[in-house]
Amino acid sequence: MMSLLGDYTSSKLSVFPKSASSFSGESDWVFHFISIVCVIFFVPIAIALFGFAWKYRKAKGQPADSQVDHNTTLELVWSIGPSFLLVVMFYFGARGYLDMRSIPEGAYNVGVDAYKWGWGMDYGNGVIHPELHVVAGEPTKLTMTSKDVIHSLYIPSFRVKKDIVPGRYNYIWFKAMEPSEKVMSDEECKQLADKDKEENLSWDYDARQCTPDGYNFYDLYCAEYCGTNHSEMQTVVVVHETQEELDAWIKKYSSRGDEPPAAYGAKLYERRGCKSCHSIDGSRMVGPSYKGSYGTMRDIVGGGQVKVDENYIRESILNPKAKVAIEQGVAYQPVMPSYKGQLSDDDIYSLIEFIKSLGDASAAEPEPPADAEPVSVE
Amino acid sequence: MSAGSVPSGYEVNDPGYPTPQENYLTNSKGILSWAFTLDHKRIGMMYLIGVSSAFLLGGLLAIGIRLHLFAPDGVLFNNALFQWLAPDKAPNDIYNQVFTLHGAIMVFLFIIPSIPAALGNFLVPVMLGAKDVAFPRLNLSSFYLWVGGALFFIMALLASGLDTGWTFYTPYSTTTDSSVILATTGAFILGFSSIFTGLNFIVTINTMRPPGMTWFRMPLFLWATYSTSIIQVLATPVLGITLLLLIAERTLHIGIFDPEYNGDPVTFQHFFWFYSHPAVYIMILPAFGIISELISVHSHKRIFGYRFIAYSSIAIALLSFIVWGHHMFTSGMSPITTIIFSALTFTVSVPSAIKVFNWVATMFKGSISLTTPMVYAIAFIFLFTIGGLTGLHLGTLATDMHLHDTYFVVAHFHYVMVGGTVVAFLGGVFHWWPKMVGKMYSEVGGLLSAALVFIGFNLTFLPQFILGSRGMPRRYATYDPEFAPLHQMSTYGALILGVGLFVALFVLLMSLLNGKKAPANPWGGATLEWNCTSPPPFYNFERPPVVGDPYEFGDIRWDTELDRYVKVEPKRERVPVETPAETPAHASE
Repeated sequence: MMSLLGDYTSSKLSVFPKSASSFSGESDWVFHFISIVCVIFFVPIAIALFGFAWKYRKAKGQPADSQVDHNTTLELVWSIGPSFLLVVMFYFGARGYLDMRSIPEGAYNVGVDAYKWGWGMDYGNGVIHPELHVVAGEPTKLTMTSKDVIHSLYIPSFRVKKDIVPGRYNYIWFKAMEPSEKVMSDEECKQLADKDKEENLSWDYDARQCTPDGYNFYDLYCAEYCGTNHSEMQTVVVVHETQEELDAWIKKYSSRGDEPPAAYGAKLYERRGCKSCHSIDGSRMVGPSYKGSYGTMRDIVGGGQVKVDENYIRESILNPKAKVAIEQGVAYQPVMPSYKGQLSDDDIYSLIEFIKSLGDASAAEPEPPADAEPVSVE
Repeated sequence: MSAGSVPSGYEVNDPGYPTPQENYLTNSKGILSWAFTLDHKRIGMMYLIGVSSAFLLGGLLAIGIRLHLFAPDGVLFNNALFQWLAPDKAPNDIYNQVFTLHGAIMVFLFIIPSIPAALGNFLVPVMLGAKDVAFPRLNLSSFYLWVGGALFFIMALLASGLDTGWTFYTPYSTTTDSSVILATTGAFILGFSSIFTGLNFIVTINTMRPPGMTWFRMPLFLWATYSTSIIQVLATPVLGITLLLLIAERTLHIGIFDPEYNGDPVTFQHFFWFYSHPAVYIMILPAFGIISELISVHSHKRIFGYRFIAYSSIAIALLSFIVWGHHMFTSGMSPITTIIFSALTFTVSVPSAIKVFNWVATMFKGSISLTTPMVYAIAFIFLFTIGGLTGLHLGTLATDMHLHDTYFVVAHFHYVMVGGTVVAFLGGVFHWWPKMVGKMYSEVGGLLSAALVFIGFNLTFLPQFILGSRGMPRRYATYDPEFAPLHQMSTYGALILGVGLFVALFVLLMSLLNGKKAPANPWGGATLEWNCTSPPPFYNFERPPVVGDPYEFGDIRWDTELDRYVKVEPKRERVPVETPAETPAHASE
């Protein structure tokens, strides 16, 4: 039965997403076992329910054919009988679960930082990237924590899920079985990425069904409600065939090289979650837009104004709740997590240069406005 | 005496009580006579209007959710109208507030009080042959606490909304700037409303059962209400304390739930589910009680396995306290704790299954009238069985890792809460409506509503099982395009379900205008509430009713001439009373 069900789950008619980890087979087999037991119980109940309702319907006043009101043997049988099936379900469920909780020695470790609303996968040596990259056939362990509220890492194709709780580490492990394929050439990817840059768009994973590096992928969702953009707190899992391939990918992102700071800042903006809340086209999102903001005066909560300069941007990255901006009379929500210890000085410098590159008001008008005295904000 | 279908050898025992001139609806007039009433029936009716309004509001929010989810990027709240109404809120924010308020209103304002406070208030004393509940003033204060709690929720809605989900998980709830304190204060007050009702019913059922009504001669609705009341009294204080701690954490940063102040957010989940899992049974147990009555009365057959049903209600009430951890299988509890909670969870499925088997067995060889309440009861058994069985997938650990916090869970609990509780509530309202208002409704209209609710409900929630098993997380304002077709089916279903509910409302309201006058016992029921007139007089019974077996239908027959059910009893030899003259000796002694 197990193999028959296995064939079924890999078909397109399946009620499951693609089965792609060492847990998927067990989890799906148990699911189908329970479903079959359910059908075996449900169908006779439904037939009896509708059958009796039809067969024994009578005109008003006709007495019932029987007034039998108990049968202790029958009742004991249907009370105790199904319990054995429950024990079987419990057993298989617990067995599969214990596998998921027994992390093998020597598993490849990736750090996971979840925040509103994005992911930082930490591959060591300062390489932090929103995508999760792992190796096929090798166990991977994720050491996960959250910067703000509870999130939950969920990879449907792997059948795994674990909450990510601030202030502690939660762990999850899996062995990915099906490697991702390279479905788009590097040149095509670059063309699309350049086109996105011109149009101020970010890479559309769903429409293109591939990553900016050209691989197809598995979805990775946040499964614990975490606020405004909970439903957009998604990323992807790419499964490499070999450790060498994974290492090469990591290397690609491991150094800034001799890129100018503003260009590197643009990459950090994409990768480190800035873009989920700050636009670069002037539109209002969860946080203020970067466009043309450098050098302007900004109203802040608690009264007063502050100039958007290097120090203000640095403070806002390291201690976001210190000076919360107000725009057009409406304060932004103080929801940004601190990036203290997450971004190096060079990273912060690059981001500042990137923001400057989106328009610098202080360059245009060197004189500060005359009415720079504090204004009270009601 | 009429012949009708009364079998030979039997005679009608119609006590022929005079129809009282006044009933509880007419015995006093004016708004104040309602506002200050201590009559359990009027309080029940006020609750019925209150919870129905909450249901309407929560239902409209649900329609909003489904319309928004018609397309992957969202539809409804992207509309210019909403941007104009709430210029500082993104469509995602509006969606989050709408699903939060849908959940919070449906749970705290509708489902928890629906059957116990509305139908229970009306029925418990009448089923006991009593004049009122044990503490009528406590009963009225419970209603006003409900109103107060509802006002707090409306204030929260109008102030800055609520976006925490109905579960108020920390540290989201301690850091968001929406109206958490107003809403939790509302839930805190509603908790007391619930405790007062539960306490009242426990005392009433313990002390006011009439002579002859032993525990095992009580209608099963009373067993279910009693079990529910035990949970209400024991579990709700935990919710109250948890919500107070949440408010304290938010305002004073006492450091219990928020890791920023060295608190533990998972502690909140334990506290919260310690109440909220038993609360699931506060929601479903009274529905079991209604179904036991409906199936038996409309099958005109003794309930099958009375003792098993009664004991299973108590078993569910007790087991409900030790399974809360199954809401937290993915939270990072230790493996051994998780496995114990999984094992305990399986035990709670047994008593629910027993009830289903007994209801179906009751219908076997019955004399079934396919009335509106009976059709709702059959729909309940069908839907609740699906809801219960899919709970097995979630109680099993290996599969729950995949299904937790997906649409599979959403579908599962809606099958239990809507397919179960709401359908039973509707069945109960249709069943006791003639008693409550003294009017019969249109059977055709009632059956139409049941059919639309059944079809619409399944179309809404069956696709959600597949959405969940395919990996669609819950509480998503937008989603991947691959899920769109199933979401669209679900939205069409919700619209049909909505129409069905409006038809039910329309049919009931129309009966007030042009319904036929209801007889005392329109269905041929044997419990005591069918012994008083419809609607009952202020004191319920002209004379104390004679307590019989609540499921003995042998002496209730349809009288075609009188066009109503009558009580019959075996014809007795009427021996002429001996005249005193023949026994002078005795007389003189």
